[in-house]
Amino acid sequence: MMNTGYVRPRTLEDALAFLAENSGKTRIVAGGTDVMVDLRAGTLKTDYLLDVSRLQALRGIEIIGNDLSVGAAATLSEIYNSAILEAHAPALQKSAVNFASKQIRNVATIGGNVAHCSPCGDTLPALAIHEARAVLSSPAGERQVPIEAIASGPYMCALPQNEIITRFILKPATVAFADFQKIGRRKELAVARMSMAYMADKDAEGRICFFRFALGACTPTPQRNHRIEAMLTGQIPDAARIWEAGRVLAEDTIAVTGRRASAVYKESAIQGLFMRMVYPLV
Amino acid sequence: MDPKTVHIEFTLNGSPRSLEIPGAASALWVIRNLIGLKGAKEGCGIGECGACTIEVDGKAVNSCLMLAAQLDGADVLTVEGLASEDGLHPLQSSFLEHHGVQCGFCTPGLLMSTHALLKENPHPDHAQVSKAIAGNLCRCTGYRQIFASIEDAVKHNSGEAAQ
Ligand SMILES: Cc1cc2nc3c(=O)[nH]c(=O)nc-3n(C[C@H](O)[C@H](O)[C@H](O)COP(=O)(O)OP(=O)(O)OC[C@H]3O[C@@H](n4cnc5c(N)ncnc54)[C@H](O)[C@@H]3O)c2cc1C
Ligand code: FES
Ligand code: FES
Repeated sequence: MMNTGYVRPRTLEDALAFLAENSGKTRIVAGGTDVMVDLRAGTLKTDYLLDVSRLQALRGIEIIGNDLSVGAAATLSEIYNSAILEAHAPALQKSAVNFASKQIRNVATIGGNVAHCSPCGDTLPALAIHEARAVLSSPAGERQVPIEAIASGPYMCALPQNEIITRFILKPATVAFADFQKIGRRKELAVARMSMAYMADKDAEGRICFFRFALGACTPTPQRNHRIEAMLTGQIPDAARIWEAGRVLAEDTIAVTGRRASAVYKESAIQGLFMRMVYPLV
Repeated sequence: MDPKTVHIEFTLNGSPRSLEIPGAASALWVIRNLIGLKGAKEGCGIGECGACTIEVDGKAVNSCLMLAAQLDGADVLTVEGLASEDGLHPLQSSFLEHHGVQCGFCTPGLLMSTHALLKENPHPDHAQVSKAIAGNLCRCTGYRQIFASIEDAVKHNSGEAAQ
């Protein structure tokens, strides 16, 4: 604790300059809910903590033209209470509802959730169905990276050390159906063993005309499942069809994670969770 | 300036504070060990029990997970700031009256989570109370007396419980 410094630059430019100068010995901190746990456990050793939580460039949730922009330093409580997200990215708003505890939601940020690159990050499946791109800043400028490319494997963040995530650009969607579901050991404060998000719309005849789905936590990186999306789009939803899509999803997931002893539980849990989440469509 | 020590200024329970702290110190460590207020407790140290809950700018946070450096400029309230010269805060009285306190280890955290909730929503229903204190564990009471304490305080709340 005594050997770690703390800096809180006033502007993004100053923060990027500090990071460039002290690359390799600086850890970004926002809400600190992952960083503090790692510091305490001794698994994180760093010369400097660079606090980005108050940078104006990382704040705010807004519609800009055709895009929905969510600042990397937006807290889970801000996401929970955002009317803009409820209207334009409802699954993301729902992912904040059972996230950790009130105390943690009040400080934990979406940028930290993504950059921590744990496969169980609750915001990841919702970001994936909105085809979110992370905006990364460095002294060289800005670039955008699809959310699925950031987490290249559990806890193996593909971010180079001199970049700061400033915001996420989502494709907004106004849909009649959307949800996020997870299974943990208990309702609050549980790390998800399995999580999923979807959004959908039906046309006048009751056919599914739009369907987006992503799975998190059980695969090494959260991912959209295009096969399930294609299976259900254009269909009149009924219980049997959704049950069948859930079976295919379970099969796909086990194919990625390998058939371990837990597969029997996982297979039926995935199918059951999918059924519970998507059933309102019927 | 050596950034390994950080100078911070904030308001603690209504009084201005100014101190030098180690850069990676937690808010809980500074409040307990440098300032000497022992109300906030360290249960788990990793965000799971809520015994360390304090209010920062009106919001309940786990002080074990917050950098003390992040208190700079903030308005901070700990359980020591609840009571006034006129006596206990109505929430505290309600916890006593309804046996919401057994060993008392969880109590400061529960009081702060509830206090922050009542600021946001003076008349929460059972589900809203439950959601607000889900991050506060109690090993003694089984929570029934805690809900009774909070719900009675809510019933009598004409605004003063959030003060
Ligand atoms: C008790 C407990 C319960 C939890 N429950 C959940 C849960 O239900 N669901 C869930 O998904 N997570 C959960 N978490 C994990 C954690 O709260 C989240 O991952 C949170 O979103 C992290 O955000 P933060 O701002 O606190 O990150 P920090 O701890 O500040 O940072 C996390 C990582 O991201 C990096 N980082 C932060 N911001 C940026 C940025 N703008 N640019 C680049 N890198 C950045 C940091 O360097 C660090 O490596 C829980 C944690 C605890 C302690
Ligand atoms: S000591 Fe902070 S949550 Fe347990
Ligand atoms: S009264 Fe003992 S932990 Fe709650």
